[in-house]
Amino acid sequence: MAYAVEISDVSKMFKLYHENVRSLKEKVLFFGRRGYEEFWALNDINIQVKEGETLGIIGANGSGKSTLLKCITKILYPTKGRIVTNGSIAALLELGAGFQPDLTGRENIYLNASILGFSKKEVDRRFDDIVGFAELERFIDNHVRNYSSGMFIRLGFAIAINVDPDILMIDEVLAVGDEAFQRKCLDRIDEIQASGKTIIFVTHNVELTKEICTSVVMLESGNIVKEGNPREVVAYYHQSMETTQEGAERGTKQIQVTGVGFLDDKGNVSTNFHTGQQMIVRVHYNAEVPVEDPVFGFSIEDYRGFTAFGTNTKLKGVSLGTLEGEGIVEFDLQSLPILEGKYFVSLAIHSQDEQLVYHWLDKHASFDIASDTSDIGLLYIPCNVNVFPGGK
Amino acid sequence: MRDRLSDLLLHRELLYNMTKKELKVKYKRSALGFVWSFMTPIIMLAVFGLVFALLVKNNMSWFAVYLMSGLLPWLFFVNTLMQSVGSVVGNPGLVKKVYFPREVLPLAAVGANIFHFFLQMMVFFVFLLIIQWQFSPWLAMFPVVFLLEVMFVTGLALLISAANVYLRDVQHFVELATMAWFWLNPIVYPVGLLQDKFPKYMPIYLLNPMANIILYWQYIIYNPYHYAHNVGAPGSSAVYISDKAMLYTALISFGVLVLGYWFFTKTERGFAEQI
Repeated sequence: MAYAVEISDVSKMFKLYHENVRSLKEKVLFFGRRGYEEFWALNDINIQVKEGETLGIIGANGSGKSTLLKCITKILYPTKGRIVTNGSIAALLELGAGFQPDLTGRENIYLNASILGFSKKEVDRRFDDIVGFAELERFIDNHVRNYSSGMFIRLGFAIAINVDPDILMIDEVLAVGDEAFQRKCLDRIDEIQASGKTIIFVTHNVELTKEICTSVVMLESGNIVKEGNPREVVAYYHQSMETTQEGAERGTKQIQVTGVGFLDDKGNVSTNFHTGQQMIVRVHYNAEVPVEDPVFGFSIEDYRGFTAFGTNTKLKGVSLGTLEGEGIVEFDLQSLPILEGKYFVSLAIHSQDEQLVYHWLDKHASFDIASDTSDIGLLYIPCNVNVFPGGK
Repeated sequence: MRDRLSDLLLHRELLYNMTKKELKVKYKRSALGFVWSFMTPIIMLAVFGLVFALLVKNNMSWFAVYLMSGLLPWLFFVNTLMQSVGSVVGNPGLVKKVYFPREVLPLAAVGANIFHFFLQMMVFFVFLLIIQWQFSPWLAMFPVVFLLEVMFVTGLALLISAANVYLRDVQHFVELATMAWFWLNPIVYPVGLLQDKFPKYMPIYLLNPMANIILYWQYIIYNPYHYAHNVGAPGSSAVYISDKAMLYTALISFGVLVLGYWFFTKTERGFAEQI
C-alpha cells in the first residue's frame, strides 16, 4: 500500500527561552547562564496517511495540530523521528502568505503558485479557473494592496486549491468567506477527493470532519489520544472537552448529590431518549448533617452550552423541609420537545437565597436524543403544512 | 547536498519570480523608477572624481573610466550583501507559513542586483562607445570575472542571511564592514600607489578577494597597457595581475560559495522557529 504521508515516531521539542536573545552583547552577557525550558509539542506521533485518504486532525488549542502540519510541510523539522511524503504538497497554512501588496492580482497568482512549487505552464492552464473561483475577474489587474480582506483571502484560497497538488494541507482556513464561498470550497474539496488526491485537514470545526474526512486523529498535548472513524473520534472529542473543561464541581457538600439517573416512561434507566418522550431526572442525595430547606435544581444544555431548560424546587413551589441522610428527588419531565443531539445536565443544591451552594455539578451527566423528524434547531414544535392552491 | 540542489532546481521558477518581484517592488510607486539605479554610481563618480582627480592630483588618464570600472562591480557587491542580509528575516510570513527552499530568498537578492549591475554596465559601455574607447581584447574575459564575483558574493550572501536569523548584529556589522572594506580595494586610488609606498604589504593587500576581482575588472575594461602607454606617475601602475593571486581568488570564491551554501542549508531548519 502506498502511503502519501508516513509519520514515524515524530517528536518535536521547542526551547522556551525566557527572553529571546538576538544580539551579540546579550549572547555574551548571558553566555552559559541562560537555561531554557523544554516544551514537547509532539510526542511519538505515528500516522500513516494512505493515498487518496482525507485525514482530519482535531484537538484543543495547543494540542500540537499546527506543529504537526508544519512538520509535514517541512516548515519545522521534528526533533526526533521522521516524516516521508510522496508527491507534491500544497499547504494552506495561511492564506495569502507571501502576497506582495505592490504587485497586481495577476502577478501575485504566478508568484504565489511558484512559492507553492507550481510552474508557469500549470498556472497558465488554470489561470481562468483561479480568477473565476476567487470571483475577482474585474480586479485581477489591480494592486493587491487595494483588495479587501475578503478578496485577499479568496484569492489565496483559489490559488492553493486550484493548482492541483498530490497532497493538500489545510489549516483552519475553510472558515473564510461568506457561506456561498465556503460551499464552493467544500465542493472543490469533494472534487479533489474524487480525483484520488490526499488531503490533510486541521480544524476546530469537528462537525465538518465528520462530513469530509475518511479518518480523524485527535491530539491532546502532543499525543494521539484517539484515531480512526470520524464519528467515533468526534464523539470522543466532545466527551473529552466536557470532562476537561466542564464537569466542574464546587460547594460546601453538607448535602451532596451522590448520583443521578434518567428514567424513561417505563421506569428503566437509560441515556437514550427520543423527541417527545417522557423523562424522569432522579437525583440521589446524602446529607451528612441536617440541612434546612435546601433547593434542588437542574438544567439541560446543548453541546454549545446553550440552556434548553432549567428549573428548581423553589421555582416549582416545593419546600423540602430539613433533610438528613440519604434520599431521592425526582423531576418528572412529561415530554422532551427537543431535537436530535447530545444534551448535558447540570445539578445544584443550594440554600433558599442561593447565597450558600451546598453542591454544584456542572454538566455532570448527559443523554442523547434521537428524532424521527429531520427538522432543524433545538426545539421540536409540532407543525402541519396546509396548502391552498389558488388561495383560500 | 545533491537533494538540496535538485530541490532548488525544481524551484527555479520561484527564484525567477522572486527576482522579478524584488525588481518590481523596489521601484514601485516611485516616479523615476529604474533611473534610481544609476543615481548612486553617478553621484559617487561626481564626488570621487572631484576629490581624486582635481584635489588630490593623480595624473591618471581617463580617471572616470578607471573609477567606474572598479566602482560598478563594487556597488554590485555591496548592494547584494545589503539586500540579502535581511532577506530571510524580512519575510517571516513566507518562512513561517510556506515551504520552499529558503536559499531562494538571498539568491533572489543576488539575481535582482545582477540585473541592476548589467543595466549599469550597459549604460557605462554606451558611454565608452561614445567616447570611442579602445577596448582591450581582454574584455572577452568579462563572463569569467563576472562569474568569479557572483560566486564570491553569493557565498557571502548565503552566509550572512542565515547568520542574521540567529544574530541580528550581522545586519549592522555588514553595514559597517562594507564601508571600511571599500578602502581596501583599489577603486578610487590606483594599486600602483600602494605598490610604491608599501611594497611589503602587497601580499596582505591581495589576500582580499574583492581587491583581486576589482583589479580584474579594471584590467579587462580600463587596461591602460592597451589603451595608453603613458599612465600615471612613473613607477605607479594602475593595473596589477598575478597568476598566483588569480588562482587564490578563484579558489576562495568557490570556497566561500560552498561554505555559504553549506552553512545556509545546515542552519535553515531552525529558521521558522527563530524568526
